[in-house]
Parts: sequence; C-alpha cells; structure tokens
Amino acid sequence: MTDTFLSIRGVKKSFGPTTVVRDFNLDVGRGEFISFLGPSGCGKTTMLRIVAGFEEPSEGSILVDGKDVTRLKPNQRQIGMVFQAYALFPNLTVSQNIAFGLRVAGTPKAQAAARVQEMLVLIGLPQLGDRYPYQLSGGQQQRVALARALAPKPRLLLLDEPLSALDAKVRVSLREEIRSIQKELGITTIFVTHDQEEALSISDRIVVMNNGRADQVGTPFEIYNRPTTRFVANFVGTLNVLEGRIVDPQTGSVQVAGQNIRLGRDLGPKRSGEAVSLALRPEAVSLGRTAERNGTLQGTISDVHFLGSVIRVRTKIGTGTVSLDTFNDPAVPPPSSGAPAEIAFAPRDLMVLGD
Amino acid sequence: MKSGKFWAWLTFGLGAAYFIVPLLATLEFAMRMRRGTYSFDAFAVVFGDPRFQQTFGYSVTAAIFTILLGVLIVVPTAYWIRLRMPHIRPIIEFITLLPLVIPAIVIVFGYIRMYGSNSALPFLGSTRGTDALLVIGYTVLALPYMYRAVDTGLRTIDVRTLTEAAQILGAGWVTIIGRIILPNVLIAVLSGAFLTFAIVIGEFTLASLLNRPAFGPYLQNIGANRAYEPAALAVITFAITWGCMSVIQMLARFAPKSANRPN
Repeated sequence: MTDTFLSIRGVKKSFGPTTVVRDFNLDVGRGEFISFLGPSGCGKTTMLRIVAGFEEPSEGSILVDGKDVTRLKPNQRQIGMVFQAYALFPNLTVSQNIAFGLRVAGTPKAQAAARVQEMLVLIGLPQLGDRYPYQLSGGQQQRVALARALAPKPRLLLLDEPLSALDAKVRVSLREEIRSIQKELGITTIFVTHDQEEALSISDRIVVMNNGRADQVGTPFEIYNRPTTRFVANFVGTLNVLEGRIVDPQTGSVQVAGQNIRLGRDLGPKRSGEAVSLALRPEAVSLGRTAERNGTLQGTISDVHFLGSVIRVRTKIGTGTVSLDTFNDPAVPPPSSGAPAEIAFAPRDLMVLGD
Repeated sequence: MKSGKFWAWLTFGLGAAYFIVPLLATLEFAMRMRRGTYSFDAFAVVFGDPRFQQTFGYSVTAAIFTILLGVLIVVPTAYWIRLRMPHIRPIIEFITLLPLVIPAIVIVFGYIRMYGSNSALPFLGSTRGTDALLVIGYTVLALPYMYRAVDTGLRTIDVRTLTEAAQILGAGWVTIIGRIILPNVLIAVLSGAFLTFAIVIGEFTLASLLNRPAFGPYLQNIGANRAYEPAALAVITFAITWGCMSVIQMLARFAPKSANRPN
C-alpha cells in the first residue's frame, strides 16, 4: 500500500447506552478507494460521519495526512462529501452549486467560473450549468453533487450511499463514472454502501462491517474468496454451509453427513471431534468429479430450476443443502429431482468458517 | 356528477356572498358621501387627510422594523430548533402561542411597570424608546404567525442535510443561514411578514395606550367621529390586506423548487 493518508485509530462511538462503532482501526493509502460495506445499522454511515466531523467519537482519533483532525469542525477539514439525498441547494443553479465551496473559500470569480466549467465537463454535463436541481434527473443531480464536492479540491472524498436512491441501470453506469473520476483525480475516497456488487466492482479494498466492528478488511478478491468470519462469508455472495465434525485437524480431515473429506491443510488450533462449519461458493461446486474437483460428497437432488442458460440444482447432503449452478447443455437433459448425485469441489475452495 | 357540481358551486356562491355582500354594502355606503350620486369623495377625504398619511406612514415604518426584528429572531431560532433541539419544539410552540391568549393590554401594563419614567430603564420617557418598545410589542403579537410560517417553510426542506452539505464545503453559520436556509424559506418568511404587516397596520391597543401616532388609533378616531370616511377606510384596509395576500400568492411562484424529498 502507498503511504498512509487517512488513519482511523481505536474509534468508538456510543449514543447513550448504545455503542454503534467499536474499536475501529483502519489505514487508508493515498489515492485509495475504500468501501465500507455492511447491512443497515452496522455503523458504516456513523463511521463516515465521524471522519467528516459531523459526529465526535467517544474514543479514538482520526488523522488525515498525519494531522489529527478529530476535534476539527467539518468546515475546517477540507473534505468533500456526497450525500445519499444529493443535498443540492434548491435556490442555486447547477453552476452556483458547484461554485459554492469555491465562493466560500474566497476564490476569485473568474477562477471559480473556470473551475466550475472544468467540473461540468468532468461529469459530462457542460450544457446544464444554468439549470436548477429540480430540473435534473436523479443521476444528473448526483453527478452535480459529485462535482460540487470535488470543485474545491478536497483532500479526501466521502460518499454516503450515493447511488441507493437511483434506479438499477443508472446505479451501474454512475458507479463506474465515480470510479473513473476518482482514478483520474487520484483522490483518497471512502464509499459507504450496503450493496455488495457495488463494493466488489469498484473498490481497491473493502471494510465489511458488522455490529459496529470491522469484521474484515481486504481486496474484493480476498473478501469474496477468503472470508475470515461467518458474517463476511454469509453477507458477501451466496454461500453453501455444511456442518461437520473434525476427524484429524492436522490433515484437515472432516466428516460431513457421515462422509469423510480432506481439506488437505492444517486446521490450526481446532481439536479432533470439534464441530466445524464448512462453506462453499456455488460456482466452486459441480455435479460429478472433474480433474480439478476431486473432493466429493454423495447426496440427493432436492430441487432443479431450469433458468434457460443456467440450471440451478439443490442437493441434499445429510441435513444440509448445497446449491450449485450448472450451464445448460442441449445434449444433456437436466438432472431429476430425487435422483442420487455426487457433488464435486476442490478442497482448497472449502472455507472453514470462524464465528 | 352535474348535480354534485351544482351543489358545490351553490355552496361556494353562498360562502362568497357571506363575505362579499357586507363588503359591497360598505363600499356602496362609502360612495354615498355626495348626496344624490355615487362618488369617491370619502376616499379623497381620507387620502387627503394629513393624519391618514402620517399615521399610515408611521405604521408602515413600524411594520417594516417589526418584520425585520421578527425575521432576525424567528428564523435562526426555528432553524436551530429543527436542527439541534427538536425535542423542545413543543415548548417553543407553546410560547409562541401565548400572545394569542394574553391580551395586548397586559404587555402595555408590563411596559409601564418596567420602563416607566420612574423605573431603572425609563425607555417610555423618550419618543424613540417608546417607538422601540412598540416595535418589540408588535413583534410579540406577530410571533405566532411568523413562527408558524417559518416553521412550515423549514419543513419543506431537508434542513439537516443541506446544513451538513454547506458545512462540509467550508461554510459557517452566517453563510448557511444567509445563503442556504433563508433563501429556501423566503416565501414562508414573506407570508409571515405580510401577516405581520396586516397585524401592525390594524393594531390599536398598544399604539393607543403608548400614545403613538399609529394607524389603528386613527381608524378608531375616524370611526367615532365621521360617517362615510370610516367606511372608505374599511374598504382601503381590506384592499391593503388582500393586496398583501395576492403578493404572497404571486411570490409563491418564485419559490425554489426541490426535487429532493425532505426529511
């Protein structure tokens, strides 16, 4: 990671008896795009607001470029922010909205006008400077909000679920635009979302939050393929969970539904006879053994859904169920419900879930 | 459907007649000053009366100062309560409704006790001091209307998010209130302002007991001593009030429109 630009140290936030953020620690590199991902009420927006200065932490500190900003007011932090509800000033035109931060800072009119035009071109709306917010679509308003946040050249950009009020198609195109603009400007960015696809597609790293804590911090690949907690594994992507019992922790031998499988790796401090939860992504499972997928479990097909190009098969393994997707093959009819099945997987793809 | 429309129009007509007929009767009476014909003589006498011009001018000036003072007090207060202390809104609302319950004469007697010429703060001993106390008294009387109007206006905007958006862009409180909040509640403020204007123009008790040359005592004086001129004055006062309401309606077209959903 490049040099640390934003440091969040031991931050805790309580509202009365309720603690919404617990012992949050994070270092963000200069120019990095970090997403705070989690369900509603997990503390991600509160954490963002603490960085912005709208909430004061009960404990801990925030350092931006080496300077402690914990006690600074929001208008002293040189941070840009995009809100979920756009928050464009209804009495000002698009150009005036974008120029607002520049005018407050005392930027000369001509300079401010040039910067506004630059921002309008950046967001792809050069002709809409004289319009008022009510005359814009949701996507256009959010672009203007982004331009307004970036116009004063802030040190840090914060986005609080900026796409959640938009329809699906606009969300996809706008998130790519945001990422593209962020890369072009090289601005350190924190993006809050509850949408895992958003976080996975545009982030350098993701902080998955649960109940006020950062459960895991990692790249999208790490978060998806190597979840370190049960919550992260369940929250990000779809997961098949199998309950088993450890036979030999050193060889990674586990019994699931009366069948032995070998993970081929040391299970660390776990003991023989201990219960364990194993997880598999649907794309890591196939019907029938292959060269790479030599770990197998026998079961019975419980459901088959023909979805066109994809066939979704649910297989009962003991008391658990494994869901897998397989591509439609016109030469091969789909499996039948009730038929015996052998599911196959690569042992390395089996995840051992923590608590 | 046609039957429903008929009854709706009939009800509307009867309601309108209830208000318009007495007004037309007043206007008709005011135009009878010249025997045998209709004329605007009573209106001419009123407008030509130096006391009308003096008292009307005085009340308009007092109204302007009252509006300014009301806006300076109410807008930041209502804004701060919405932003930081929503839990005390019921208490503030109760306080702003007190002038509707407590008669104006109570204010005057309070003034005499506190600011009389024998007290420690003898504001009533000077003309300007009395004028200032009159304006403050008017502000209190207009408080229910100004506060309600501003509070209603603040409900139509997302006060918290707009404030935070302005703060993160570097704005301080004066800039936030002056460039973001006030412009977005201007129509509501103007509604409160025109209601305040109407109250001040017609107010009698405070002005009379403080012995100030305001329009209210002039109206009462004319009404006690003349016949046709009070009717003309009543029509003029209606016209001023309706004029204020029309201006509010016209200005409402220029209210900043918001595509956002407010909190």
